[in-house]
Amino acid sequence: MAWLVVRLAISMSLLYAASAVFEDQVGKFDWRQQFIGKVRFALFDTHSQASKKLLVATEQNVFASLNSRTGDLFWRHVDKTGPEGHIDALLMYGQDAVVVVGNGRLLRSWETTVGGLKWETVLDTGSFQAAALVGVQDLVKYAAVLKKSAISLHDLSSGSEIWVENLPDSDSVQYQTIYSGGNGLVFVLGVVPNSHIVIVEYKIEDGEIMNKKSVEAAWMSSLESSCAVVSSGILLCVDQITQSLYTLPLQSAEQTEMRQIHLQTLDLEVVSGFRPVLTSTQPNPAQPPLSEFFLQLSPDHHILLQFKDGLIAPLRDFNPSYLAAFATSGERTVAAVMSPKNDTACSINLFSADTGRRHLDTTIIYHMDPNGGKPNRLYVHAFLKKDDSVGYRVMVQTEDLTLTFLQQPGRVVWMREEALADVVTMEMVDLPFTGTQAELEGEFGKKAAIQDGLLPMVLKRLSSQFILLQAWLAHLWKLFYDARKPRSSVKNEVTIDILSRDEFNLQKMMLMVTASGKLFGIDSKSGTILWKQYLENIQPNSVFKLIVQRTTAHFPHPPQCTLLIKNKDTGLGSLYVFNPIFGKKSQISVPALPRPVLQTLLLPVIDQDYAKVLLLIDDQYKVTAFPSTKNVLQQLQDTASSIFFYLVDSSQGKLSGFRLRKDLSTELIWEVVIPTEVQKIVAVKGKRANEHVHSQGRVMGDRSVLYKYLNPNLLAVITESTDAHPERSFVGIILIDGVTGRIVHEAVQRKARGPVHFVHSENWVVYVYWNSKFRRNEFSVLELFEGAELYNTTVFSSLDRPHPPQVLQQSYIFPAPINTLEATLTEKGITSRHLLVGLPSGNILSLPKLFLDPRRPEVVSEQSREENLIPYAPEMPIREEWFINYNQTVSRIRGIYTAPSGLESTCLVVAYGLDIYQSRVFPSKQFDVLKDDYDYILISSVLFGLFFATMISKRLAEVKLLNRAWR
Amino acid sequence: MQQMKRLLVVYVALQALFALSWCFSDAEPGPAAGSQSNGDRFKIEGRAIVPGVKTQDWISTARILVEGEEYVGFLKTDGSFAVNDVPSGSYVVEIVSPSFRFDPVRVDITSKGKMRARLVNYIKTSEVIRQPYPLQIRSSGPHTYFMKRETWGWTDFLMNPMVMMMVLPLLIIVLLPKVVNTNDPEMRKEMEQSMNMLNPNPELPDVSEFMTKLFSKGSSKSSGGNKGSRSVAPKRR
Repeated sequence: MAWLVVRLAISMSLLYAASAVFEDQVGKFDWRQQFIGKVRFALFDTHSQASKKLLVATEQNVFASLNSRTGDLFWRHVDKTGPEGHIDALLMYGQDAVVVVGNGRLLRSWETTVGGLKWETVLDTGSFQAAALVGVQDLVKYAAVLKKSAISLHDLSSGSEIWVENLPDSDSVQYQTIYSGGNGLVFVLGVVPNSHIVIVEYKIEDGEIMNKKSVEAAWMSSLESSCAVVSSGILLCVDQITQSLYTLPLQSAEQTEMRQIHLQTLDLEVVSGFRPVLTSTQPNPAQPPLSEFFLQLSPDHHILLQFKDGLIAPLRDFNPSYLAAFATSGERTVAAVMSPKNDTACSINLFSADTGRRHLDTTIIYHMDPNGGKPNRLYVHAFLKKDDSVGYRVMVQTEDLTLTFLQQPGRVVWMREEALADVVTMEMVDLPFTGTQAELEGEFGKKAAIQDGLLPMVLKRLSSQFILLQAWLAHLWKLFYDARKPRSSVKNEVTIDILSRDEFNLQKMMLMVTASGKLFGIDSKSGTILWKQYLENIQPNSVFKLIVQRTTAHFPHPPQCTLLIKNKDTGLGSLYVFNPIFGKKSQISVPALPRPVLQTLLLPVIDQDYAKVLLLIDDQYKVTAFPSTKNVLQQLQDTASSIFFYLVDSSQGKLSGFRLRKDLSTELIWEVVIPTEVQKIVAVKGKRANEHVHSQGRVMGDRSVLYKYLNPNLLAVITESTDAHPERSFVGIILIDGVTGRIVHEAVQRKARGPVHFVHSENWVVYVYWNSKFRRNEFSVLELFEGAELYNTTVFSSLDRPHPPQVLQQSYIFPAPINTLEATLTEKGITSRHLLVGLPSGNILSLPKLFLDPRRPEVVSEQSREENLIPYAPEMPIREEWFINYNQTVSRIRGIYTAPSGLESTCLVVAYGLDIYQSRVFPSKQFDVLKDDYDYILISSVLFGLFFATMISKRLAEVKLLNRAWR
Repeated sequence: MQQMKRLLVVYVALQALFALSWCFSDAEPGPAAGSQSNGDRFKIEGRAIVPGVKTQDWISTARILVEGEEYVGFLKTDGSFAVNDVPSGSYVVEIVSPSFRFDPVRVDITSKGKMRARLVNYIKTSEVIRQPYPLQIRSSGPHTYFMKRETWGWTDFLMNPMVMMMVLPLLIIVLLPKVVNTNDPEMRKEMEQSMNMLNPNPELPDVSEFMTKLFSKGSSKSSGGNKGSRSVAPKRR
């Protein structure tokens, strides 16, 4: 008996190991793109001329090395999210890069060629202010880190702390910058706002305070950006109110106040309201900075100045100019300045820093993307050419987080769309038919068949067949033509014009909305960005909701998507309507939303142009319809009594249901209050609107049917206890009917806490929580059944449900942490379901839903075996073959999007986080297409063999008969 | 599977034990909740080894994850690692690498900073099977992400039960008449007898007879019948 069970289970587990990847499928239908995020620091490796390294540290807490020739990643290290992984400073010397992480908590040194850590030291607590490399006698040996109240010096080769000193009067003085000119001293500069500057000198060897002085500066509020150290230790500050520059030698004892130089004497003026910025450069930390510096007077006005013998002389005025940056190669320092050329392009020129003279033939033309943002950062990589002149390449970062790497005379070497590192929401839209496909489809239109007679129909058929033949011939010709060309020149460039729906609708358009407000249209097959659109003036804390109002199925009406952009604080929203295939903004008039939007509702009601109606509910429970034509309003009036919606107010713990009235006002129907003192609502989820359930019930072992409770209005509400103590914390789940407000089921998981991830689909809810008692993740599954009979076999109505459903629940241990959870989705819902689990390791696990079945028996019986139920086991298995993305891990996976394809067996999957990964999964194997490894040769050879065998045996039989007849 | 079943048994049997054992472990290493008491921060140290592979080939893609992504550490160029700033508690430490597999280890840190490492057991969470600390995590080889394709070979084909079922009777049909001398009248008698034994009801039409009748009709003009085909054989000789 037991061995039978074992054998059964083994065979079954073999059967269900279905969605594995075969090695030859690598890269066939999947792709991954890796991103780094918004660049905070970028340094070119100038250590050797041939080096291709570009080190970047980003706002996403990523430290990476890019290949500056291709833009690909050499390596990338993804730290913890949030302030604890925040990269405060990046310094580079030789082959090593020193990084200050987590508000000055950790100091790390990276070996940049391998991408491994050299050392890591923990610093004392205290908020980070500044860090600098310190050199002694032309050698960079130390790194100094300035905190709010202390300064420490570290050895660069081992990371060991040389000394740490408390700063004097740190509670009143704000120490902000650090400076070392290679003369054995470290200067710490602090400011008491609107009073004076404090300068403290430390000896490098032992941290002894050599000198401390304070200088009157009543006009100063902050040292950062308005001050810089130039020449041999001259502090230079700029103030926009007094319109002057101030200078002070850091080391001199006699000068006790700052010398004022009016900007007027230099014929300069700061634009009112703009904070002027000083930029100096110190090519070698063991030597004092150069005496040349940039002063930015307005957003588009820079000036290169020189400090000499206590005097400031302008070298060159750049008006207009957007960006300016210094770069050094060998002994020569140059300045690159970006100036506008015309409306769509900028020109970048190189000037020698010491004279301000322009280098000849160094112009780079940078073409601005009309759908993108303005450039806001310029990184220059200067190098010496063979003829000893200075060449350079630049990396431009724009507001929309595009990194463009250019070389002369304006060739784009590579481009990275770093906005995609922070995808907020996405949708997949079917591609449109081509003209010929649409023509064919049009033939089957309803109207045409009725109006035309038999003969025109036949003619139409013939003509469309002719068109098909023509298209096929054209295709053949193209194939032939391409084959003659060398392979390299035939590049499979994907453009919008040639995109059309494929046979099985496997290729779709991915619409991605990023946190920076940039929209992308990406081809799902290749990952090519087909269009991008930067929406300006997006608040950083906006939330987005993407709604597909009209799909591509309504030719000739263009598809239509609506993006609701909502400010998180004020709740005020705006709508952006666009065509998802071409990315163009629609000309449709958009309703103004003067009040905060609480809820949106996409109705199945369509207007005369086949666009689904979107309802927006504001904070006074008034409803705005979009589109709001007469036709729509009429339809809404007719159907108003059956339109319900719900609102969630998690701050008050209130769930409420409303019904639409004919005049587009609303009435409250039900209200459920979850006391906020005990628990808070974490998430509410309904079912996906495009989900199909194929079978109404499950066939049991005794041939009876257990019918599923398929309530389309069911909401799953997850709550978490406010008490975080591991003994008293709990996670609750409430299933509420969204129309009537009836609580269908309620379950509580004691000694559990979030984060809870859950999927609500068909008749089940799967949720994951942290068991704080046993310190492990647990899966729990709830399944709802109506019982052996359906109450109403034709239609489901929430209002007429006398019997509560039967609820089954089972829990399992999941031996790994979880980042995100989603379920596969197929066209008709026949294919078995899998759960896609995003793990922190970056893998996506495809877990068969069969393992999450509350009917898994503890004791195996004849009937359960008949039903193919796997015996209960407390621990969920994780197999490496179930990782759909093999070694293409997705860092910081935040969401998984699933979409059905035209093939029932195939579900399209997009995982996004820091990276984007697209693939297909086959939860029940590819039952509707021939397998990839289908042996055409064998089958055809067998067929031919049989054919010839018949021929030969026929001949032989004839001969034999003839012989017999002669006998 | 057997393991699953055993686990199940263990699980049920140890249900009662849990409460008891929990008390012990609760007092000793201190649960994760101990982190709330704003105490010292500690360092989890160890070394990761991939036998036969140079460290620089894999460390740039690997990370150390402590309890999911709660604390993150990176590998040094010699394969050692240290995760700083970890408060006292019990954590699962895992090295994640897209190429190599490492087994996770549970590390307990007391509020005084005492460390111990043990095997991760999610079912018997309080079971202690000591592991060395500082951690020594040896890779158990590369990940096996891919399923093997079923390759087609002659042996597979021949060993297929369906093929065997077809081939063996064929061999018997072809070879047996040659081995057994059918001309021997005694033998024939014996065979007929055995045939009769097999066919207990002589009234019932024999299926094979029926079939041969059906097929022989079309192909040959000879008199047909079961005897016919049999009588042809001796004629031919």
